[in-house]
Amino acid sequence: MTTSMTINGKKHDVDVEGDMPLLWFLRDNLEFTGTKYGCGAGLCGACTVHVDGVATRSCITPVASLAGKKITTIEGLSENGDHPLQKAWLNNNVPQCGYCQAGQIMNAASLLTTNPSPSSDEIDNAMQGNICRCGTYQRIKKAISDAADELATEVS
Amino acid sequence: MIIENTSRRNFLKATGIAAGGLVIGVAIPTQTMAHGKKIEQAAFNPNAFIHIQENGDTLIYCGRCEMGQGISTALPAAVADEMEADWARVTVKQADGDEKYGPQATGGSASIRRMFIPMREAGAAAKFMLVAAAAKVWKIPAEQCTAKNHYVINNNNKQQLSYGDLASLAANITVPEKPLLKEKSEYNYIGKALPRHNQGDIVEGKLTYGVDTKIPGLKYAAITHCPVLGGKLKSVDKSAALAVKGVFSVVEIPRFDVPYGSIGGVAVVADNTWTAQKALKTLKIEWDLGVNKSYDTQAFKAQLVKNVEAPAQVATERGDIKAAFAKAKLKHSATYTGGHLSHSPMEPNASVVYVEKDQCEVWAATQSPADIQKVLGQYLKREPKDIIVHVTMAGGAFGRKFKCDYVHEAAVISEKTGFPIQLTWSREEDMRTGYYHSINAQHIEASLDDNGNVSGWLHRIAFPPIGTLFNPATDRPSKGDVGAADDYPFGLANYRSEIGEAKAHTRIGWYRAVYAIFYGFSFSSMADELAYKAGKDPLTFLNQLYDANEVVEQQEQVKRSKNILAIAAERSGYHQRASLPKGQGIGLAVHYSFASYVAMAIKVEVNGDDIKVLNVDCVIDCGQILNVDGATAQMEGAVVMGMSLALSTEVTFRNGAVVNSNFHDYPVMRINDMPQVDVHIVDSDTKPTGLGEPGVAPFAPALANAVFAASGKRYRDIPFKPLTV
Repeated sequence: MTTSMTINGKKHDVDVEGDMPLLWFLRDNLEFTGTKYGCGAGLCGACTVHVDGVATRSCITPVASLAGKKITTIEGLSENGDHPLQKAWLNNNVPQCGYCQAGQIMNAASLLTTNPSPSSDEIDNAMQGNICRCGTYQRIKKAISDAADELATEVS
Repeated sequence: MIIENTSRRNFLKATGIAAGGLVIGVAIPTQTMAHGKKIEQAAFNPNAFIHIQENGDTLIYCGRCEMGQGISTALPAAVADEMEADWARVTVKQADGDEKYGPQATGGSASIRRMFIPMREAGAAAKFMLVAAAAKVWKIPAEQCTAKNHYVINNNNKQQLSYGDLASLAANITVPEKPLLKEKSEYNYIGKALPRHNQGDIVEGKLTYGVDTKIPGLKYAAITHCPVLGGKLKSVDKSAALAVKGVFSVVEIPRFDVPYGSIGGVAVVADNTWTAQKALKTLKIEWDLGVNKSYDTQAFKAQLVKNVEAPAQVATERGDIKAAFAKAKLKHSATYTGGHLSHSPMEPNASVVYVEKDQCEVWAATQSPADIQKVLGQYLKREPKDIIVHVTMAGGAFGRKFKCDYVHEAAVISEKTGFPIQLTWSREEDMRTGYYHSINAQHIEASLDDNGNVSGWLHRIAFPPIGTLFNPATDRPSKGDVGAADDYPFGLANYRSEIGEAKAHTRIGWYRAVYAIFYGFSFSSMADELAYKAGKDPLTFLNQLYDANEVVEQQEQVKRSKNILAIAAERSGYHQRASLPKGQGIGLAVHYSFASYVAMAIKVEVNGDDIKVLNVDCVIDCGQILNVDGATAQMEGAVVMGMSLALSTEVTFRNGAVVNSNFHDYPVMRINDMPQVDVHIVDSDTKPTGLGEPGVAPFAPALANAVFAASGKRYRDIPFKPLTV
């Protein structure tokens, strides 16, 4: 199948089998390895990217469903790694092994787009599809709150 | 130019590199040296390098493997501290697998214990040489110079020379025999909250893990294994897989009977991982399941319980337990059990291997590059040193990546196809054909005397030990395997341990905290049970158990254990627990393992079968602290892993094979269950010890004790609330 999608602002032809999940197209064909494989079944969130701004599990999203869509991966979240969430992640020293963190940040970015000032419960609800086996959850919650606060300051 | 310091205890080597700059390695004494043989007969084993470039940029190589525990920040920061380097000018590099870096096998929370002093000495030696070089330039005594923040300063006129300017000159200075180390009060980085060096790359998705290596000509493989340990391939129909577009070949991988060799499987090689995984599912495979085909964990656990509830093989005996039991005012017994656990790091097993006629190159997330060299060397019939191993960041490991079966498999596929191969295990394979934490049972019988003090303690233990990996004939734990019970720092004058039969029917492996998981659970649970039987406050009872210890060598353990318990009780509001709302309770536990001390006080709310963990106060005494932030993170993580295994995760075998397959039926903890965790660190000047593992052990017993305090319900089987699969 040949079609195209926009990834991190750049148009890419998609010349692979239509049932190939976006995850593997990104990782093996385009060599964008920031998006991670964790479970292959939409259970852990490590592969989270944005499709037209919405957090999506790329491991279960076939490329055939993405013709003409705008994809954003961790590599394209911000120009210089300075998205409020990326800054908050650094300020809170969130990562341990770091493997799940791209998915966590992408999921959180999508949350803040729809809900700029989430409560603690709302963060829990939005983020519970993203597993961190190192156990950085406490810091993830704090970082999301901090980023929300920064966004609120920017707006006001 | 090579300068060797021939002092036996302290052995430093400096090599001036032709291109300029100063390189320093450091070695800890090898066995040969420790036995007093001549230095020149010993392999020279430097385990870290400092490389200062002429522009001042400084590389510090980390020989120990990084998997998220933060060692590649903590140790290099200690080097930078001693050499008065500017941390902003330092780049940390993960060292390749090479014996010149010394022991790289990273486990047992041993990196800090082993490397803190040698790494600091490497830094201090560099500083000495830079200062000496500057003194030579200025023609003044070295005592009139001060090193600070990547510069040497002339104390007389405040002139400065940068480390970059001095690097080449410093390379010609003789290495100091015993470089002077800094005092604690002089530290710039040690003991502070330094962010991990690679977190900037992590948040931008730039850090490369084992699964991320790309090299020219790379082909991708997926694998399925014989589901039962010891089985083998009977037949495979490859035709459908070979017909899939993009598939290159199907490779049979026979079982390789060496420790950490493949258990045997079939792999598909394709031009991307997805195609390989898809084609793998079309293979029609028949396995000869072999001797373990009836392994059933429910039945096996019941058998282990039987084995510890009857007399077993005596391991250690002291005092007179028979007399103590005869005179007892009260006796109490309980049996504690636990299931298999899967490490399930977020990054599944993955590596890239390229086997060529005259070279074999590996890129792997690993905890032990030397084992990769050994196993691939055995398989390929080459010298271990000829296997080049590039160590990548590991996306979690927890003990799993100590074993290199997945790298061996990639090597087999590469050898047979001629391609460089990236083999990525699926999550399902990771969960179903891993190396599991031992299923276990312990039975404790204890007596209380007229004063409500413990007078006798019988401890029976059965679990298939890790030793079964190396000697499959092993049918029960060794005396060494139960040493942590025999040496538990409670005062148990009348004590007997017995070892029950427990054969292995799957691969058993180190899992973060290892046996401390179940020893911590049984000792701290039983102490709590006995406190209630004696009608005493659990904290008072614990203190009395420690106070009863009269073994001179264990007094430090007694003192430090009691100290952190007291802090945990105070910080958690344990003393005010009578005023908690109905349904809430606080439980305590303390455990000494891997030379570190961790106590936890857990506050829970129990509503029927529902257990909600509200707060965890975690107190650690690991001697001098290297990185406050790293230490805190390790405890937060230990709480999460402890909570997963205490409440919900268990690997179940039926008909010889693992039933669980992915995170829906191996429910690791998620963010919505995260309690408030507060970590308290004891300020200490004693020798620093590691923290990767010790935090896991006290969680399950503290939780069990908290649930009992809140509800009167006693959980003795881990996990408390298993998912039925």
